[in-house]
Amino acid sequence: MSQTPVLVSPPGRRGPGPMPGAAIHALDLGLVRRAGGRLPGEHRGLGVGVGTELAQIRTYQVGDDVRQIDPSASARTGQPHVRQHVPERALTTWIVIDLSPSMAFGTAIRLKSDVAEGVAKVVARLGVRRGGRVGLVACGTPDLQVLPPVGGRRALGAVDRLLARGVAPDGDSERCGLRAALTRVRALARQPGLVVVASDLRDDVPWSRSLRNLVAAGQQVVTAEVLDPRELELPDAGVLVLVDPETGRHVEADTTSASLRTAFAAREAQRRERVSAALKRAGSRHAVVRTDGDWLLELGRAMA
Amino acid sequence: MSFAAPAFLLGLLFVPLGLAAARLARGRRRRYALRFPATATVAAVLDRGPQWRRFIPPALLALAVTALALALARPERTVAVPIEEASVVLVSDASGSMAATDVAPSRLDAAREAALTFISKVPKQLRVGLVGFSSAPHTVLRPTLDRETLAVTLSGLQASGGTATGDALAVALDTLAPDASNATAKRPPAAIILLSDGKTTEGSDPIEAAREAGRLHIPVYTVALGTPDGVLPGGPAGFVPVPPDPETLREMSRVSRGQAFEVDDGDELHGVYDTLGRSVGTRPEQRELTAGFAGGGLVLLLAAVGMSVWWRGRV
Repeated sequence: MSQTPVLVSPPGRRGPGPMPGAAIHALDLGLVRRAGGRLPGEHRGLGVGVGTELAQIRTYQVGDDVRQIDPSASARTGQPHVRQHVPERALTTWIVIDLSPSMAFGTAIRLKSDVAEGVAKVVARLGVRRGGRVGLVACGTPDLQVLPPVGGRRALGAVDRLLARGVAPDGDSERCGLRAALTRVRALARQPGLVVVASDLRDDVPWSRSLRNLVAAGQQVVTAEVLDPRELELPDAGVLVLVDPETGRHVEADTTSASLRTAFAAREAQRRERVSAALKRAGSRHAVVRTDGDWLLELGRAMA
Repeated sequence: MSFAAPAFLLGLLFVPLGLAAARLARGRRRRYALRFPATATVAAVLDRGPQWRRFIPPALLALAVTALALALARPERTVAVPIEEASVVLVSDASGSMAATDVAPSRLDAAREAALTFISKVPKQLRVGLVGFSSAPHTVLRPTLDRETLAVTLSGLQASGGTATGDALAVALDTLAPDASNATAKRPPAAIILLSDGKTTEGSDPIEAAREAGRLHIPVYTVALGTPDGVLPGGPAGFVPVPPDPETLREMSRVSRGQAFEVDDGDELHGVYDTLGRSVGTRPEQRELTAGFAGGGLVLLLAAVGMSVWWRGRV
């Protein structure tokens, strides 16, 4: 008996499309407010530590590094003082990517999974710059797929290899949702850093609490909502038999009915508003990347 | 209900065949279903109404096919058609023993009531006559359509005297077939209902009269009324037993190809007259119901198609 593979390459896969080096070079993870990596780097961290920017000058306490004594301040006050700096740390970036079967859908230029793959690849390339480390958690599969944060080429290779395997196959088996992935990131990311989520956010908003907790733990979160135009409006295409790739549920719908199409569009708009509001409440940035547009441009705007 | 061409009932097999085909088609449709992540949203906004609606058009269709297959087999029903010009003579005993009260309120009153019920049950076109008898047939009403006169004559019967069943039967035959010598002459169908409660005490032999009726193709339906311990006051012992005589009556009905009944209370008597009222004066006829079944099938078919189009936008 052959076991169902965890990930399969979806039919109609086209890849994320061109990712011009110049464009990526121009991007940077500039939005990061605080970073807390173990290694010294260029992102400012919390508290005091090794860095170049002055945080404070205070009186010498027993145990302070005598090399940090500030001669001028000590001379002016007659008491020994030490200089303390804002720590400058390397950034740890977590990528949370949705590999559920609903991502293997696209009716415009490419599939939603292709767009999510592009987002993850770009973020990984930006994340490994200047000593940064990149970790990845993939949800939508029966078990979470976790790549621990590493730096450099190893990180890029690991991310690319995982993404090349595709998405979870159709079926109604139990899957880990976005909530589980965010909870896992919260547990794994000890220091403040950046979390980029790429998902179609179709399973309503059960993840909003985990997202809030993640933000409260000091993580900067950018959520890229992957959309296909067909999911927003039904076309007038006669009677369609539709199947939900995640539940296997069959529905027969007569799309010639204008009222059905209007109701569908209204409900989808409502759903997206709920998602948008939940992201906003949680304090996450919200980027909308579409299968029919320039997702790199949208992502760049959200990162600025 | 029976069928003139039962071989066509095989058409009923189309119902299970059609259901199986519908199932197959459904499976095939599912194989070409479109993957769509927003299916849950579609399902939520779909105005499908209650679930049972889905089953109505197929059910109606199955009924329509059933009705049409049945129509093909040409169903027939047996109906009672009133016979034109038919006549019946009620021969009612009014002897003294009919005053016995073993049948409430008395034998004669129960017989009268039952006869009135009979008159109200029989078809309008049936001519009904009456012969009341005791020691001799004294009340004779020729078969007539006038129910009013009949009812009045019935209520005028008084219980007294002996029992001359044979003579009464002869008179009844006379009113029904005046031209008795020519048994084969064309004559509207007729029947005699004889109600008696006792032995023939006077006059001619009733069995002979019944045989004559049989020869004229006039069945004699006999009703023996009363219980074996029916008594009348009087006599040396203070009472006179007046039991019915079912044996003779049974023999009379046998020789004339009629039917014999024995009753010992008023309700039962009503039941017997009810049965006779429905069978005497009518004859069974096969009526074809094909048009009804075909029409019903057509209506069902149209309803199924109409509902399907209305609810689902297609046939």
